Amino acid sequence: MEVIMMLTYDQPGVMQRVMAEFTKRKINVDTIVVGPCETPERSRIVISLRDYDAAMGVIEHLRALQEVIEADMVDHRRHEGYAITLSKGGVCRITGSVEEVEALIKRSEPDKYIEVVNAI
Amino acid sequence: MKGAKAVVELLEKQKTEVLFGIPGGVLLPLYDELVGSKMRHILPRHEQCGAHMADGYARVSKRPGVCIATSGPGATNLVTGVATAFMDSSPLVAITGQVATGVLGNDAFQEADSFSLMMPITKHNFRITETRALPETMKRAFLIATTGRYGPVHIDLPMDILQQEVADEDMKKKVRVPKPRRNLSGLLDAVKLLEEAERPTILVGGGVAWSRAGPEITQLAELLTAPMVTTLMAKGSVPEDHPLVLGVCGMHGRQVANYALNNCDVLLAIGTRFSDRVTGKLSEFGVQTKVVHVDIDSSEIGKNVKGRVGLVGDAWTVVNALIAGLKERKKRANWKDRIIELKKECTCDYDLKSDPIKPQKVVHEMSVCLPDDAIVTTEVGQNQMWASHFYRCYGKRMFITSGGLGTMGFGFPAALGAKVARPESIVADIAGDGSLQMVSQEFATAVENDIPVIICLMNNGWLGMVKQWQKLFYDKRYNATNLGKSPDFVKLAEAYGAEAIRVERHSEVSDALKEGMKADVPMLLDFVVDPEEDVLPMTPPGKSSSEWIRGRCRWKGGGE
Repeated sequence: MEVIMMLTYDQPGVMQRVMAEFTKRKINVDTIVVGPCETPERSRIVISLRDYDAAMGVIEHLRALQEVIEADMVDHRRHEGYAITLSKGGVCRITGSVEEVEALIKRSEPDKYIEVVNAI
Repeated sequence: MKGAKAVVELLEKQKTEVLFGIPGGVLLPLYDELVGSKMRHILPRHEQCGAHMADGYARVSKRPGVCIATSGPGATNLVTGVATAFMDSSPLVAITGQVATGVLGNDAFQEADSFSLMMPITKHNFRITETRALPETMKRAFLIATTGRYGPVHIDLPMDILQQEVADEDMKKKVRVPKPRRNLSGLLDAVKLLEEAERPTILVGGGVAWSRAGPEITQLAELLTAPMVTTLMAKGSVPEDHPLVLGVCGMHGRQVANYALNNCDVLLAIGTRFSDRVTGKLSEFGVQTKVVHVDIDSSEIGKNVKGRVGLVGDAWTVVNALIAGLKERKKRANWKDRIIELKKECTCDYDLKSDPIKPQKVVHEMSVCLPDDAIVTTEVGQNQMWASHFYRCYGKRMFITSGGLGTMGFGFPAALGAKVARPESIVADIAGDGSLQMVSQEFATAVENDIPVIICLMNNGWLGMVKQWQKLFYDKRYNATNLGKSPDFVKLAEAYGAEAIRVERHSEVSDALKEGMKADVPMLLDFVVDPEEDVLPMTPPGKSSSEWIRGRCRWKGGGE
């Protein structure tokens, strides 16, 4: 899975313009997450898709848009994992890279856990 | 200050000299404020032509052309003109009226979602929904149109914004637009490739025409002893009488240009997006070639042809950097001499002395007769390809054509815009009878506003280019290409108050052109040309340029 993350202005029409770049190139995206971000009047758009070449092909075009401030591919190594586990010791929150979190869960064998992978 | 007055003031502050616009219901406040403005207003007879005029104006003046249309049908009519400018990276500021913000989205009278309509065919577009954003948006539009890669910008302007008060402090707001980042990290690699190349060739694209880097590229070519090949959009940006300039390449290009393109070992491509009309079959294009791709728009690098070395920056800057970087230059006398020799073999003038008139003859006479600062525009189709192949563009001559979108009916209004931008030059439109009939109402604009251009009509009674393809690739099953009942073009022009001459003999072509250059009113030269004449040589679509159709071309094809 490839993830593209964008910082954009928060105004009507931005999604239409961003998605047009995908439509034009016949790219089917898997997920879109968008919302206002920590800076006022800015939004963050996170799009995931499966095709690496398509993602690489579209990113420069996204950067060229006036309303897009930054657009980057998210480095896989940077994927952060977050998990909540429940075991004898009580509720435990684990954060770290996806691999670290999974290794820790495996080792501690909790009774229940909810995991959130690739939380950005 | 009312919004409408603010718009007029902001346009004047941008040093706008001329507006090409058609008013309408929602634009009444704006047109009321335009009364007494020192900006010239030209009223085209169709919004599309207003955009083409602004486009022609921009291509000559290298400044944004401004066109105005009303909401709904005005905006939809403008779409073709704006898309034409977008595909050829021409700076426009297109303003459309819009219904008041209160009824926006309610299907009001003459409402269309022009913001969405224009979005994919502009570099950027705005819909102003708050009066305080008006001054900032207007300034930003002009900046965006001419920063980095040029392009059209559209502003959708609801009527109530024009009627509301704009605060003075908003008018004073300063605006900045980020400049595209230059990336010359590949410069050393590029220099190394060029230094070591045995058969370097330069492909000059439309970006060079906008950047006006022709003289520097010529200098670089002389340093490298490399031939220069141009795309259709770059025709005229390097002088075609220079021994190293081989002319336009591509589907209907000159064979020697295609030869150089296909046989070079290092290709320096500047300001071009490798259109399918240039490359033919993409998979076979330059299989053996190493490409150095220079473009101001980083998204173009590697889009169509995978560039091994990409340099991001405007043509003028990068070419100067390359000139400074080149030290050890190999002597490549073999390649240069061979190309110059091949070019000589490919320089036939097509001064065809037979009747009915051959279109090549008309273009040949234009090459001979027009002054060195003439501006030639073309429509789209056979007329355009004859012009690109046979017209000689050198000195201060300019060549303006709709290359990317291929809009029939572009040339005549663009010629009017060009003449407005440079009234001292002779402006001639090479037209076809199909194209001209799409915009013939603009004779009214030309006569009314006293814009004397020459229309050289290649009248063959057909939608010639489509007919040619039906002939070559569809077994002569002609369908919907014969323009059986065309008007009498001489009478048509005269009805509008223009002058016109019908020319039916090859011996009269040059005299008619001279007559046209003397005229101080718009002049139509109706050349009745041979309908059986095709645009050849040609590389068929989807084929590589080794599989060309020869026609009258006597070139030996590099003698392999």
